[in-house]
Amino acid sequence: MPKVRRSRKPPPDGWELIEPTLEELEQKMREAEAEPHEGKRKVESLWPIFKIHHQRSRYVYDLFFRRKAISRELYEYCLKEQIADANLIAKWKKQGYENLCCLRCIQTRDTNFGTNCICRVPKSKLEEGRIVECVHCGCRGCSG
Amino acid sequence: MAMSKTTNTYNRQNWEDSDFPILCETCLGDNPYVRMTKDKFGSECKICMRPFTVFRWCPGAKMRFKKTEICQTCAKLKNVCQTCLLDLEFGLPIQVRDSALKVKDNLPRNEVNKEYYIQNLESQVQGQDNANPLGEVGKAQSSSDLLMKLARTTPYYKRNRPHVCSFWVKGECKRGEECPYRHEKPTDPDDPLSDQNIRDRYYGTNDPVADKLLRRASAMPVLTPPEDKSITTLYVGNLGEFMSESDLRDHFYQFGEIRSITIVQKQQCGFVQFTSRAAAEVAAEKSFNKLIIMGRRLTVRWGKSQAKQTSISDDGSHLPPVPGLPGALPPPPPMSMGGGGGPSGSNFFNLPMSSGGGPGGGLPPYFLPPPPLPSGPAPPRASAAAASSTVTSSSAPAVEPPVPGTERPLPIYYPSQDPTRLGAVQLKNSKD
Repeated sequence: MPKVRRSRKPPPDGWELIEPTLEELEQKMREAEAEPHEGKRKVESLWPIFKIHHQRSRYVYDLFFRRKAISRELYEYCLKEQIADANLIAKWKKQGYENLCCLRCIQTRDTNFGTNCICRVPKSKLEEGRIVECVHCGCRGCSG
Repeated sequence: MAMSKTTNTYNRQNWEDSDFPILCETCLGDNPYVRMTKDKFGSECKICMRPFTVFRWCPGAKMRFKKTEICQTCAKLKNVCQTCLLDLEFGLPIQVRDSALKVKDNLPRNEVNKEYYIQNLESQVQGQDNANPLGEVGKAQSSSDLLMKLARTTPYYKRNRPHVCSFWVKGECKRGEECPYRHEKPTDPDDPLSDQNIRDRYYGTNDPVADKLLRRASAMPVLTPPEDKSITTLYVGNLGEFMSESDLRDHFYQFGEIRSITIVQKQQCGFVQFTSRAAAEVAAEKSFNKLIIMGRRLTVRWGKSQAKQTSISDDGSHLPPVPGLPGALPPPPPMSMGGGGGPSGSNFFNLPMSSGGGPGGGLPPYFLPPPPLPSGPAPPRASAAAASSTVTSSSAPAVEPPVPGTERPLPIYYPSQDPTRLGAVQLKNSKD
C-alpha cells in the first residue's frame, strides 16, 4: 500500500466497509517494518513483511472472487492503489497455485537447479515427518 | 582477497580445474541421481592452499550438504576421498592405511617445497590416466590382513548426518522442530575423538581416529581352537537372508572336505562341519574376522560340541568303522600371491591320486593312511559315560580310552552310515 494517496478520485462505494480491516493490516505492516532484527537469522527478517503482504492481497481477493462482497470498481481501485498485489492474485487464479505464499517461491531462475521453493512441494511428496520452513518467506508448505 | 580472479594471473596454470570430484561411496550418498554444483576455483585446498574446483552436493535425504575440501592432486597423492580424507579402497584413515601397508610418505611441509613438489608431480602425471594414486601409496599396493579386518564392507551414511545444533547445546535454539541441525547430546569434549584436524589427518600424524583403530586392531580377539579335538564344526553368523549353502561351500571347500553345511534361516547363521579337525582349524584361521561374502562380513566361531549331544542321543547305535578308508584330506598348501602355481599346487583340487588307495602305496607324503582303528585318537563319541565325563572335566578327552565292551571308536562320521537316517528310530527307541 502506498504511503501517499496519489489519486484525487474519491474511492468507489463500499470502501468504508473494507477500510478498517485494511487500516489494521497497514498498522501491522508498520510494526513489522519497525521491528528490530536482533536475534533473528538473516533470512528471517523479511518473513513478517511477506506474510502481511500475502494477508492483505488475500483479503481483497476473497472479498471479490469468493464472497463477491465488493464491486469490480472497488476491486480494481484496490489493485490500482497497490493495496492488493495483482501479480500474486493472478497466480491464485491458476490451478495448483491457489494458496501460493509469495512470488519469490515460484521464481525458478533464482535457484541453482531451476526448481521451485521447498514450500511448493506437496506434503505427500516430502519424506515422512519433514518440517520445512522456506527461506524466502517462512512458508511451511503452500501446495496440497 | 582484494584482487579479482581476472586481474591476478600469477601462476594461474597451477590452479586446478576438474570435471568430477574424487569421492568415496559414503560421501557420495545413497541417491543414484545426486545433483552437484561445481564452483571453479571456489576455495583453496586445505592442504596445499591452491585454488581448486569445489563440488557441493546433498548425499541423500536428511543429510547435510557436503563439499570437497582438498584438491585432486592432494587427494590422488594419498589415494583418499576429497571430502572425508579416508582411503578410497578401505575407507580407513591415512595413518592406519600407511602403517598397515608400511608406506612412508615424506611430503614436504614447507610452503615453497610443497609447491615445487606438487608442480613436479603434476608435470609427471600430465600424460597418464588419473586412475592410479600418485605417491608412495601407488607403488606399494598390496593388501594387508589388518586392513581387511578393519575396513568397512558397507558405506557408513551416518557420517553424512547434520552436525549437532550448537544453539540447542547451549539451550537456546529457537527453531524447534524446523531446525535442520541435530538436537542431540554432543560428544564429550574430553574425548580425544572430538579434537580432529584436517592437516594432521592428511599427513597421518596424531590422528585420534587412527589411534583408536590401531588400538582396536591390537586388541582384536584371536580365535582359539577348542580343546575338544572332536569339534570340527565352525559357526558362521550374520548370513543375511539370501546367503545360500552353495555360497558357503564355495568358500569353505578350499580348506578340506566338508561333511555337512546347515543353515538356520531364522537366526541367519550356519554351521559348516568339516571331516577333519585340521581342515577346520585352517578354515577358522583363514576366515576369522576377514570373511566377506556378498558384501557381508561373516562372523566365524568354533561350533559347540555337537558330537557329545549326538553321542548321548544315539548311544549304542554305532556301526563298526569301515576299514581301509582314506584319511582326511590335507589342508590346501598356503597360497602364494601369484595363484596356485608351482609344484606344491600340482594337486590343486585336492583330488586323491587313486581312488580307494590302501595304506602305503604310491601316495604323496602328506596323504597319510587312516590311523589304526583301536589305538588311534578316539573321538569322545565312544559312550555316554565317556561323554559325560568330558563335559565335566573337558581335559584332553581324546586320550581317554573308551570303556571296553561298549563301543569301538569311530574315527569319522559318515551320514550315510547313520542308521537313524535310514529309519532306525524305532529300533533305537525299542532298544532304550
